[in-house]
Amino acid sequence: MDKLLYVAMSGAAQIDRAQTLHSNNLANVSTLGFRADLAQARSVQVYGDGFNGRVYALTEQPGSDFKQGPLMETGRDLDTAITGAGFFAVRGSDGVEAYSRSGDFVVDALGALRDGAGREVLGEGGPISVPSYDALFIGADGSVTIQPEGQGPEALVQLDRLKLVKPERGELSKGEDGLLHTTAGAPLQSSPEVALVAGFLENSNVNAVNEMTSILELARQFELQVRLMKSAQENDETATRLLRIN
Amino acid sequence: MMSALWVSKTGLSAQDMALHTISNNLANVSTIGFKRDRAVFEDLLYQVLQQPGAQSSQDTTLPSGLQLGTGVRIAGTQKMFGIGSMQTTEAPLDLAVEGRGFFQITMPDGSIGYTRDGQFRMDQDGQIVNSQGHPLEPVISIPEDAETITIGVDGTVSVMTKGNPAATQVGTVEIVNFVNPAGLQANGGNLFAETPASGSPQSGTAGTNGLGYILQGTLETSNVSVVEELVNMVSVQRAYEMNSKVVSTSDQMLQYLTQNV
Repeated sequence: MDKLLYVAMSGAAQIDRAQTLHSNNLANVSTLGFRADLAQARSVQVYGDGFNGRVYALTEQPGSDFKQGPLMETGRDLDTAITGAGFFAVRGSDGVEAYSRSGDFVVDALGALRDGAGREVLGEGGPISVPSYDALFIGADGSVTIQPEGQGPEALVQLDRLKLVKPERGELSKGEDGLLHTTAGAPLQSSPEVALVAGFLENSNVNAVNEMTSILELARQFELQVRLMKSAQENDETATRLLRIN
Repeated sequence: MMSALWVSKTGLSAQDMALHTISNNLANVSTIGFKRDRAVFEDLLYQVLQQPGAQSSQDTTLPSGLQLGTGVRIAGTQKMFGIGSMQTTEAPLDLAVEGRGFFQITMPDGSIGYTRDGQFRMDQDGQIVNSQGHPLEPVISIPEDAETITIGVDGTVSVMTKGNPAATQVGTVEIVNFVNPAGLQANGGNLFAETPASGSPQSGTAGTNGLGYILQGTLETSNVSVVEELVNMVSVQRAYEMNSKVVSTSDQMLQYLTQNV
């Protein structure tokens, strides 16, 4: 059988994977703090018998795009967005510290500060516990200040500072839970350089036009691979016809 | 089959649910005491197809792997308890809570419903009831011969009767607060029910311990911002269109495959 068929088939299968990655980005176009995944194709040459002409393509995800997403004004006191580089620290479902950009915080019935998906938000001193309050302010450096219930503005209490980290390039990668985890394993140190703005939320940084264009381009490439499969079939048919003894 | 199809399907259903939330908010733009909802999107689990850092040969490792996300879901809706604007009505039993706090309503099954809707009336027995006829808790009865009803900022209800120059106190409107009002369950009818997520109600006198003041002759309008909802609706619609475009693109790819091979 012609090896062309297998090269084209693997090409189509890899395009299918890249297509999934882009559609996942597009599906998360409204997910707060979502970081778009990047896709790349790498050529992998196969050495074997005969001429080394077979170069397969391999779809890879080299990382996520850490560009700033658009900020949306909400005016809610617990909505927080990071401007520039940096991440919030949350406790993932496996209990390990992980990082995210989604700042739609809530205070649960027991007073724990959680993010929109219900994960505990970590401060410098671990999980942040918020007592009953009349007003809550999150400062530009992540400090959480409350005006305790039934007391005046003269009795402000500073609770803790949100743990904000500023990782180096390549220190974080996306885990299976969609949160960012350190590649080294040890939690990152908090950084004073990260700046926040309260009353805002950061939307997904997915560029819908880019994703749409990539999806259409991949669809055409897929057709190209299918066309090659068709050619392989035609070649094979012609060869069979030539060799037929009539 | 193509996984892109299923991923974009999750996008479509999540955007559909977001539109549902927006349309409910818009429908309740004139509902007294209504608190708007916000849909919370969350990305689904990722599948590791190639582990980054895995050995590609004895001496080399893969520089980058392949993790494919499986789409998006609505993790939940958040009730936004921002205060609505105050509307003056002059009706003596129209109440609003300026600040935090909920009125308590005794439901027909004996449980307590919590509401920010202060459109109260009197029933045939003189009891203060809400617009569905369920009594306010604690029960307050207005005497038949009452001429004027005055409700103070702390909830004290007093009436003036004919021929009596002194006001008679007939009860106090108590309000309650929750640690996490966003955890309350919206039951419709402008009523909320307590849940483990909201914490237990802490009752008190209006104006003390962080509870808001009661304003007579005032109603709190819905806190839905029409402009914000319309902007959200535009972005939801476009995101929906793009996800449906992915569905049709994936369909075309499969169609091309089946027709040519």
